[in-house]
Amino acid sequence: MPMLAEQKKRTVRINGCVASAQAAKYADVDVIAAYPIRPYTATMMALAQMVANGELDAEYIVADSEHSQLSIAHGASSSGARVFTGSSGVGVQFAYELYSPISGSRMPVQMMIADRTLDPPGDFGSEHTDALSTRDMGWIMGWSCDAQEAFDNHLIAYRIGEDPRVLLPQMVCQDGFFVSHITGDVELPDSGQVKEFLPPYKHPYPLDPRHPVSHGPQIMPEQGPPLQLERARAMEQSMAVIEEVHEEFAKIFGRKYDPWVEEFMTDDAEVVFFLQGAHAVTARFAIQHMRERGLKVGMVRLRTIRPYPTDRVKDVLSKFKVVGVIETNMGLGSVSSGGVLYAEAAAALYESQKRPLILSFMAGMGGEAIVLKEFYWMTEKMLDAQRRGKIEKRTHWVGFEE
Amino acid sequence: MATIEVQRQLLPILDSPNQGARFYNPELPSSEPFVPGHRTCAGCGPSIQYRMTSKAAGDNTILVGPTGCMYVANSSYLCTPYNVPWAHTQIGSAGSFTAGVAAAYEAMIRKGKWKGKFPNIICEAGDGSASDIGLASISGALYRNHDCLIICYDNEQYANTGIQASSRTPYGGMTTFSPPGPEVPEGKKLYPKDLARMMAAGHPHCYVATASVGYPIDLMNKVRKGLNHKGAAYLMIYTPCQKGFVYETPRSIDLGRLVVECGLYPMWEWNPEKREFNYSFRPASMRPVSEYLKLQGRFGHLHAEHIANLQKFANEQWKMMGVQLPEALIQAADAKNLTNMAAAAEAQAVAQTL
Repeated sequence: MPMLAEQKKRTVRINGCVASAQAAKYADVDVIAAYPIRPYTATMMALAQMVANGELDAEYIVADSEHSQLSIAHGASSSGARVFTGSSGVGVQFAYELYSPISGSRMPVQMMIADRTLDPPGDFGSEHTDALSTRDMGWIMGWSCDAQEAFDNHLIAYRIGEDPRVLLPQMVCQDGFFVSHITGDVELPDSGQVKEFLPPYKHPYPLDPRHPVSHGPQIMPEQGPPLQLERARAMEQSMAVIEEVHEEFAKIFGRKYDPWVEEFMTDDAEVVFFLQGAHAVTARFAIQHMRERGLKVGMVRLRTIRPYPTDRVKDVLSKFKVVGVIETNMGLGSVSSGGVLYAEAAAALYESQKRPLILSFMAGMGGEAIVLKEFYWMTEKMLDAQRRGKIEKRTHWVGFEE
Repeated sequence: MATIEVQRQLLPILDSPNQGARFYNPELPSSEPFVPGHRTCAGCGPSIQYRMTSKAAGDNTILVGPTGCMYVANSSYLCTPYNVPWAHTQIGSAGSFTAGVAAAYEAMIRKGKWKGKFPNIICEAGDGSASDIGLASISGALYRNHDCLIICYDNEQYANTGIQASSRTPYGGMTTFSPPGPEVPEGKKLYPKDLARMMAAGHPHCYVATASVGYPIDLMNKVRKGLNHKGAAYLMIYTPCQKGFVYETPRSIDLGRLVVECGLYPMWEWNPEKREFNYSFRPASMRPVSEYLKLQGRFGHLHAEHIANLQKFANEQWKMMGVQLPEALIQAADAKNLTNMAAAAEAQAVAQTL
C-alpha cells in the first residue's frame, strides 16, 4: 500500500496494545476480525481508527463473538488474505473450537493475546492460563515482555507462520496491562525494512475458483495418523525456520532476540528464575539488587513455548543448582500442584545428566503484580533448597507462606 | 489510497412461466460444480438442492460447508464431488467463515492481490447449524451485509448424527430426541422456529426467500437473485431426508411439492428494496396436511388431534400468504372431522387448483 511506503523509521511512546496494532498495519493485513474484551480491545480500537483514517486498507469486521472472530479469520486466511485477530481471557476460550481446525488446515492466522485471568471471578488482571490452555492446538506461541518486543514478535510470527515450510497459525502473547497498557519507547521501522523482511502472504492452496481445491474433508480413522503426523512435523520443522527468521530480523532491524530463551545474569548464577512475559522486567531489577548483595541469582525467560525448545531448556537449566519457576498460570491438580511451566521444564530436564532442583512458585495469579520483596523471598527459598540440597516442598503460593 | 473497483457477476434469471406447475427449462446451465461420486443416500433432498444451487451459481463460485450430513456424506478425504473450491467449517461457523471468505475477496480484489470478478460465495448450512448452533454467526454475516449467499438446507433435523430434533423439526415429527411414547404421544411438542422470517425481519437489507426442491427453476432463480443482490442473501430450502422422514426414496420431489401444497412450507420472497414480502407464489393445488404426513414414517404415530393441530398450523400459514381457505381445510383443523382425511377420496374432495 502506498501509505506504508511513506513511513520512515521513528521512535514513538506507545503501549503494547498500540504496538500490536502498529505491527498489523506494517504487515498490511487484509482482514481484521474484532470483538471487544479487555484488555486486548485497545489493539482493535487502534486498528479501527487506522482504517477510518485511511492509513490501512483492510476489511475491519466486528464479529458477533470470539468463535466468529476465529472463524472469520479461518475463512479469510483460507481464501488467501493476511489476517489479524485477537482476544483476552475467557474470549480466548470462547473461540476454543477453532484452534485445532485452523492449525489443521495449515492456515497462518495471527492472533494477538493480551492475557487476562479466566473467570471466576471477573478479573481484568494478567494470568497466562487463557492462552496456555490452547498450547497444544498447533499454534506457534510465545510471550513478549514489553511493547517493543510485542511489535517485533508480530512481524516475526507472520514471517514464520507464512513460511511454506511451516504454514501454522501464531499466538503472539503479551501480559494484559503489564505490557498491553504500559507505554514504552517503540521504534517503528521504515516500511522498506518491513517489505524486505515480510514478503506478501501466498498460501499454496487457497480457495480460488480458478484452481478448485477442497479444504477439510472428512477422513477415515486410518487417514488420521498421517495427517496428524504432518501437523506435528510442521511444528517440529518450524524450529529451524524460527531461528532463521530471528537472524534475518536482527540483520534488517538491528534487534537481536534469542528465539527461545533470554538469559539474564546467568553466567555465574547458581539459582535462576524461569518465567515468561512481563514479570521478567521486575525480575531483572530484583536480580540486580540481589547481585549487589552478592547472591548468585539470574533469570531465564522463555520467549517461545510452542514449539517447546526442549533441548535448549534442558541445556540452559542444567547449568544451575536450583530453578524457581514463576508460573503466572494455573494448573489445578497438575503435576506437583504446580503450573504449566513447571511440568514442562521438569519434563525437559528429565534426560539431563545434571538436573537442578526445581521449585514452582505460584505468583502473579489474577494479575497481581509480583513485587521486589517477593522476588527476594523466592530467592531465599531457592537458596535454602540449594543449601539443603533437596526440595522440602515443591510448590509455593507466594504471599501465603512465611 | 489507490484501490481497484470490485467487479461483480450478474446471473440471468431463468424463464419460469408458471412457477407453481411442473415445468422443464431446456436452457438450464450445463455446468455441474457438484458432481456425482459422493455418499449421500438415495433420494437425498439436500444433495438435489446442492446440485441445483451450484448449477445456478456456475463455476466462479466458492462453497462453504459447515458440519452436517452434507459435510460427512460429500467430502470423503481423497475424493470430492466439488468442481469449485469448497471448505468445511465448524457447525457453528456457517456465517462467520463465509464472512471471512467474502471479506478476503473484497480486500484482495480492492488491493490488487487477486484479479477477476468477485466470486459467488455460498454457504450451505443444515438447519441444525442454521437455526441453532450457527444462528448468531449467520445473523452476524447478514447484519454486516457481506456479499454472500447463506442457504439453510432444511431437512428439519440433525440427520448426520442419526436424526435428532432441531429447532426446525415440525410439531409431531419423530426423531431420536423427540420419540413418541405413552406420555408424549405426539413426539415433538414444539412448533418449528420461523427461521427465514426471523432472518428477513432482523436483516431487512438482505434478500431472503424460501424455496423447495419440488420447484427446481424457482429454486435456481432464487439462488441467482440472492447472488445478484449486492450484499448478503439468505435462502431456506426444503430438502426432504428419506432416512429421517422415512419415505420411499423416489418421492423426494413429490414431498417437496406436497409440503408447499399442504401449506406447511410457505413460499415467499422478501424484497429488500421495497421492504415487503412477496406472497404471490401459488402451488398448483391446495391439499390437507394428511396428504403430506401419510407418506412419512416420522408422522406415523400421530393421532387425529395431532394431525388437526398441524392443519391449524398450515391454515395459519395460508392466511399469512393471503390465501382464502376452502371450507374443507377449515373443517380439517377439527379432529372430529379428520378421521378419514388420509383416505384418497376425502383428500380429492378438498384438493383444488388455485
